[in-house]
Amino acid sequence: MNARRLLRCVNARRLLRCVNAPGLLRCVNAPGLLGYGIGGGLIITGLAGLLVDARHSDPLGWALWFGGLVVAHDGVLVPLVLLVGVAVGRLRTPSWVRAGLIVAAVLSFVALPMVTGLGRRADNPSLLPLDYGRNLLVVLGLVALVTAVAAIATRLRRRRG
Amino acid sequence: MVRDSVMRERAETLLRSVPGRFGSVLHSERVAARLGMWLGISFTVAFATGLFSHFMQHPPGRLSWPSRPVGLYRVTQGLHVIGGLATIPLLFAKLWTVYPKLWQWPPFRSLSHAVERGLVLVLVGASLFQLITGLLNISYVYLWPFSFPVAHYWTAYLLYGALIIHVVNEWAKIRRHLWTREQVDPRETVTARRRFLGTVAAASGLTVLFTVGETYAPLSRLALLAPRDPHVGPQGLPVNKSAAAAGVTTVIHDPGYRLTVTGAVRTPLSLTYDDLLRLPQHTVRLPIACVEGWSAEAEWSGIRLRDLAALAGIAPDAILTVESLERGGGYRSSEVRPPHWNDPLTLLALRIGGAPLAPDHGFPVRLIAPNRPGVLQTKWVTKVVAA
Repeated sequence: MNARRLLRCVNARRLLRCVNAPGLLRCVNAPGLLGYGIGGGLIITGLAGLLVDARHSDPLGWALWFGGLVVAHDGVLVPLVLLVGVAVGRLRTPSWVRAGLIVAAVLSFVALPMVTGLGRRADNPSLLPLDYGRNLLVVLGLVALVTAVAAIATRLRRRRG
Repeated sequence: MVRDSVMRERAETLLRSVPGRFGSVLHSERVAARLGMWLGISFTVAFATGLFSHFMQHPPGRLSWPSRPVGLYRVTQGLHVIGGLATIPLLFAKLWTVYPKLWQWPPFRSLSHAVERGLVLVLVGASLFQLITGLLNISYVYLWPFSFPVAHYWTAYLLYGALIIHVVNEWAKIRRHLWTREQVDPRETVTARRRFLGTVAAASGLTVLFTVGETYAPLSRLALLAPRDPHVGPQGLPVNKSAAAAGVTTVIHDPGYRLTVTGAVRTPLSLTYDDLLRLPQHTVRLPIACVEGWSAEAEWSGIRLRDLAALAGIAPDAILTVESLERGGGYRSSEVRPPHWNDPLTLLALRIGGAPLAPDHGFPVRLIAPNRPGVLQTKWVTKVVAA
């Protein structure tokens, strides 16, 4: 038990309860307990709502999406990003180029569902009315241009300085 | 046996070393705290505007919301959707920053640590769920078996509850990193951190810049990546549900069309399209603001709903239900409560910009009212029932 940390809690006079578990000592004050209460209440409300409204929420389908997105993110997307990060690091890419790559990747991600055009409907041409493939290229071109100008300007300034 | 335990020890050492192998100085508490604050603000805005939209569509009991300011719903729902898009880069950055913690070993040090990590899983899962299905939903890609509004609504409670608990648990770190000046870190670390946070902010800002024009008309030419252009559609106005999708293409041109006013009325009315054209006409400029975040303004002309109610002798505190020629669908009718139908801006519109409504905009008659979600601006209106 970490006596000094416990003492600090007591000294702060905000102590209501100290949880002492192996490797974890946490002091929870009154606002903290209130936060746990509200947070727990909201979580229970959400779960109960999903179950009570099962005809519309389809709990199994919901759970598959919920878990599937976590797995796809933690197991596929982030490892890919880390691999690209390692490659970019090895190549000693200038910081402006790294920034440009991050911005381009994010904008492409947001535009992807529109670029695929999966949501288009023959009866309603006002849905997804633009040429999103072309627009994304324009946006990425702009990002590349700004990145290049910034990188060159930084290099010139460094050479002069 | 001995070899077994040696192997196990080696595996254990390897697993313990995983989090330390992430070399970037950006996998730091300070970056996580800053991004966490931004996420906390944006999820709070999304939760508040989302609840606002939900209760506008499903008002509890006899409560009603005001019909002014005219563009309030347009602003709150624009904040909800465009703000949600801006949150995507923040969430990805935050999860990347704390990713090494996913591989901490042992995974659970105690029961309370296990509960804490379980709640972090709820927070991460719900955040990804809300933002990714939200993005797909505004792109009209419905790849799921559930009703999006229902799942989105209840998952919001999960997300915000887990967020509050997370903030309580991390409060000491938040205080340490957001309330103190950075002095201890070497200069390169500070520079790298600022650069990274600046990049994330830029990604977020550019996402807004290239989409916000779908609701904020002055920037519509920049809306290169928005699912809507507020000027594209029949009569220069976007459409959510077409006449064909609603199955009303023939019935709206039936010469036997009547608009009836029934229920708690003194004089029931049954009016032909020509009768409606002979009633006093009014012209208003009102936006149509969709739950999906886009909005567009138009000049609508038609008869005031309150004039029609007066003609039928409806009490001023009655609740009106406006019904469509559409046979089914979740939005074939909508309730108009007193503040809205007594508002002189609320019309049963017959024209847009002086021309009869296009079938996709609700010919012969549609409802248009201020400060109201687009799904409640009922099209192809044939009946008004007072209660």
